[in-house]
Amino acid sequence: MKQFLIILKFELQHYFKNKIFAGITIFLVLAIGVVMFFPRISGLFKNESESTEPEQREVMLVAAETPEEGEVLEQVFGAAFEDYNVQATTEGVEAIKEQILSGEAECAFVITGDMSYTYYVNNLSMYDNNTSIADELFQNIYRMSAMVEKGIAPMEAGSILSVQIEHEVESLGKDQMQNFFYTYIMIFALYMVILLYGQMVATNVATEKSSRAMELLITSAKPSSMMFGKVIGSGLAGLTQLVLVFGASILFYNMNAGYWGDNYMIKSIFNVPPHLLGYMLIFFILGFFIYAFLYGAIGSTTSKVEDINTSVMPLTFLFIAAFVIVVVSMSSGTMDNIAMKICSFIPFTSPIAMFTRIAMSTVPIYEIIISIAILIISVFGIGVLSAKIYRVGVLLYGTTPKVGTILKAMKNA
Amino acid sequence: MELVIHEIKKNFGEKTVLKGISFRAVGGKAIGLLGRNGAGKTTTIRILMDVFPADGGEILLDGQPIDYEKVQIGYLPEERGLYPKKKIIDQLVYFAQLKGMGKKEAVRAVDYWLGHLGMAEYRNKRLDTLSKGNQQKIQLITALVHDPQIVVLDEPFSGLDPVNAMLLKDVVKEEIAKGKIVLFSSHQMNYIEEFCDHIAILNNGEIVLQGNLNEIKRSHARDSLVVRSDKNAVIKRDFADCCVENDKEELIIRLKAPEDKQSVMRQLVENYDVDEIRVYEPSLNDIFVEYAGK
Repeated sequence: MKQFLIILKFELQHYFKNKIFAGITIFLVLAIGVVMFFPRISGLFKNESESTEPEQREVMLVAAETPEEGEVLEQVFGAAFEDYNVQATTEGVEAIKEQILSGEAECAFVITGDMSYTYYVNNLSMYDNNTSIADELFQNIYRMSAMVEKGIAPMEAGSILSVQIEHEVESLGKDQMQNFFYTYIMIFALYMVILLYGQMVATNVATEKSSRAMELLITSAKPSSMMFGKVIGSGLAGLTQLVLVFGASILFYNMNAGYWGDNYMIKSIFNVPPHLLGYMLIFFILGFFIYAFLYGAIGSTTSKVEDINTSVMPLTFLFIAAFVIVVVSMSSGTMDNIAMKICSFIPFTSPIAMFTRIAMSTVPIYEIIISIAILIISVFGIGVLSAKIYRVGVLLYGTTPKVGTILKAMKNA
Repeated sequence: MELVIHEIKKNFGEKTVLKGISFRAVGGKAIGLLGRNGAGKTTTIRILMDVFPADGGEILLDGQPIDYEKVQIGYLPEERGLYPKKKIIDQLVYFAQLKGMGKKEAVRAVDYWLGHLGMAEYRNKRLDTLSKGNQQKIQLITALVHDPQIVVLDEPFSGLDPVNAMLLKDVVKEEIAKGKIVLFSSHQMNYIEEFCDHIAILNNGEIVLQGNLNEIKRSHARDSLVVRSDKNAVIKRDFADCCVENDKEELIIRLKAPEDKQSVMRQLVENYDVDEIRVYEPSLNDIFVEYAGK
């Protein structure tokens, strides 16, 4: 036990003193900070521009045939585009283009027919929705005049056109629209951390073997202490990173919640029910152990760090396959399809499959208990098996041994 | 202190690696474990260090089965290597702690050894910034830092320059003088001859020869003479059937029987201009080739 703790501490220091580990963690936290504080910071600048006089707003030109028509257009467009300083002009299209290119005006509308117009703009931004506003404007004008022609009073026509529908949605189970984003983020984090830190275990073991530090280690410590120390050390490092990143996100969001206002996506991401975070922790720990034990065992049979990637491929593919099944089911909206149901009881896939089902659909509690129980039993079984493989694996040098060789060596050890 | 290895057997699958190894080592003396590559030395050492159990036989320390909870063993593996990217002080303390030392005690012991081997300036450096010889010295510290009763040194001198070899020799002599059991494994026979009172030669998983080195040498048939002379050609011609020249331009004359020693010596002195005659004593190298080469 004492040896295990010494190894655990050494392994943890390996991560925490590692500049890359610390760098990535700090970078992630900072990046989240920047994203979360963005509306607050950009809000500061926006406030300044809003306080400016109408004359200082961007100029929008509207082409008119006569000054009288120009006055009407200025009024109609001015009401629709409040952010702009709308000016009517009777000069030709060429003059309008010139004004836009020279920067005097930001954009311009030239009406070409009853139901058509051309929108001129210098650089079309991604978020430019002026045309859709104008479309609506033209539609309303057309409908209005059509209704007035049919003998409906203009006031009445206006109220018919501006009628508002109110609606409410109440999902009795889970709202997949709402929890899609956070579930996706959570399983992606699960997937990344299990894969990254699991592979790190394999790499660390293989590094010790290839640097021959193993020669000394096997005579200094019990193989089981070595393996459990490594796996748990790596798991704690991964968990630390996970907690820091998630914690920072939640903290930063709460500091800026007011500035995000009604941003639907952000709001739904941070609307994670606390019990789901608890499930995430459970499935992370159990899933991590299953994979990290196997990665450790595979690492122990590899003599060279270069061979690690090839050796761990089958295991990595297994996990990627599980991830793909889950993501496909998520986007298809059928969380409880037969593949997902099977996957949520297989220990290699259940950490993400069952977790996703819990998050996005309604799973009977007994299914959750069975899934977790299978996982716990598997963690112990795979732990014991991996420790056995590790014991003989660390002594095997040369080319990566075949499965048969390892089994034979395990029998003889 | 007496370490007895008794009839140790080990199979790896179908392959028998050790067929009943027995030898004994006592405190304050070094024993040389010799053998060609694949003879079973490393397996013997690993069983002694409890990396895996033997299939048969026992290891006794002072008559009792060895208790790994109480006995400390220091090991310098033939395949050297520690953590190249880690600070020297960190990894040395780590290994000392794994051997059961407390943190403070470990730091103190590591600092003592770094000073003792003239390595104190590298304390906070990364291992891979050191030269190979200095890395060897760091590795030696891992074998000795916890003051083990039994020290196992596998090829300790390989790759060391003469100055570092001298330093290591002094350290090994100190350890022997402290009354420790020192187990030496090497192919460099001159070092074995220098340190080891006893040797055990392993071949194909068996001990083919063991005992006190001087006694082994003396017990060899004293049936050859070494002759140094300027007239090698003449002597060679006259003793053509039993004479060979070695690489030091000396002639080795094999006698028909050990009793002929006196008469052949007299014959040589009277008939030729001889500078030196002595009875041939086999070197450890000769003994090794004779027993392990089969």
